[in-house]
Amino acid sequence: MTRPQGDPRWTSQLERIRSDATVTRRDYLRILVTISGGLVVGALAVVAGVFPRRTGTTGAKKVADAIAPGESVAFAYPGPDDRAVAIRLASGVLVAYSSICTHLSCAVLWNREQGELLCPCHDGRFSSSTGEVLAGPPPRPLPVIDLEERPDGIFAVRARVR
Amino acid sequence: MSGVPARRRLRQGASGPGPGAGVDRDPEHTAAVVARIALVATIVVGQLWALTIALNAYFAERMTTVRWLVAFQVVSFLLAFGLWLLAPRDR
Repeated sequence: MTRPQGDPRWTSQLERIRSDATVTRRDYLRILVTISGGLVVGALAVVAGVFPRRTGTTGAKKVADAIAPGESVAFAYPGPDDRAVAIRLASGVLVAYSSICTHLSCAVLWNREQGELLCPCHDGRFSSSTGEVLAGPPPRPLPVIDLEERPDGIFAVRARVR
Repeated sequence: MSGVPARRRLRQGASGPGPGAGVDRDPEHTAAVVARIALVATIVVGQLWALTIALNAYFAERMTTVRWLVAFQVVSFLLAFGLWLLAPRDR
């Protein structure tokens, strides 16, 4: 809402609010409506994409030439700070997940012996075949990185939050 | 009391607010404003909830949900704004 500069009604209201004068019930109502407007601005900022989202795609990025069964390769996708891990499971299936724990952002490691992804900070465990939480405090599954096997190597193509 | 000067007795008797001070002179007006405050506060709580859900949906790339929640926020604000406009004036 815009008010012309120098409007005596508007100026006196501002002066009263800024001073130590008693806050009236109507002032409370005005403050609440202002907060309500601020929340609308916040929601518009969300839908406008002001907050960076570490998902989506930044194009295909080569992860490795090949990964042997039981082996893993660390890489970054979609951004250079978005650590991820690609794993060739014993069954031959190729999977990749963000290696940032959904609990407190510690590094998640591939535990070949147990066939699980392990966060050593608080003993969070994730399924290597789905990325779902198996045990520990992580509240959400690991974001999935979609991979494509091409003749010239393995490529990350998209990151997805579930 | 007879030893107290007459001027002091008068001051003691006249100190403090007069009868009826602090009492609502227009309780219906007050009730209308308080009811609107309660309604707008409830709307703001709903908006806070919607914002958290919208952020979650945004990070999960559920943009349809985000758009619905933004529409909810706008409607909520318009309701709150309308209640403010309709509230009786204090002075």
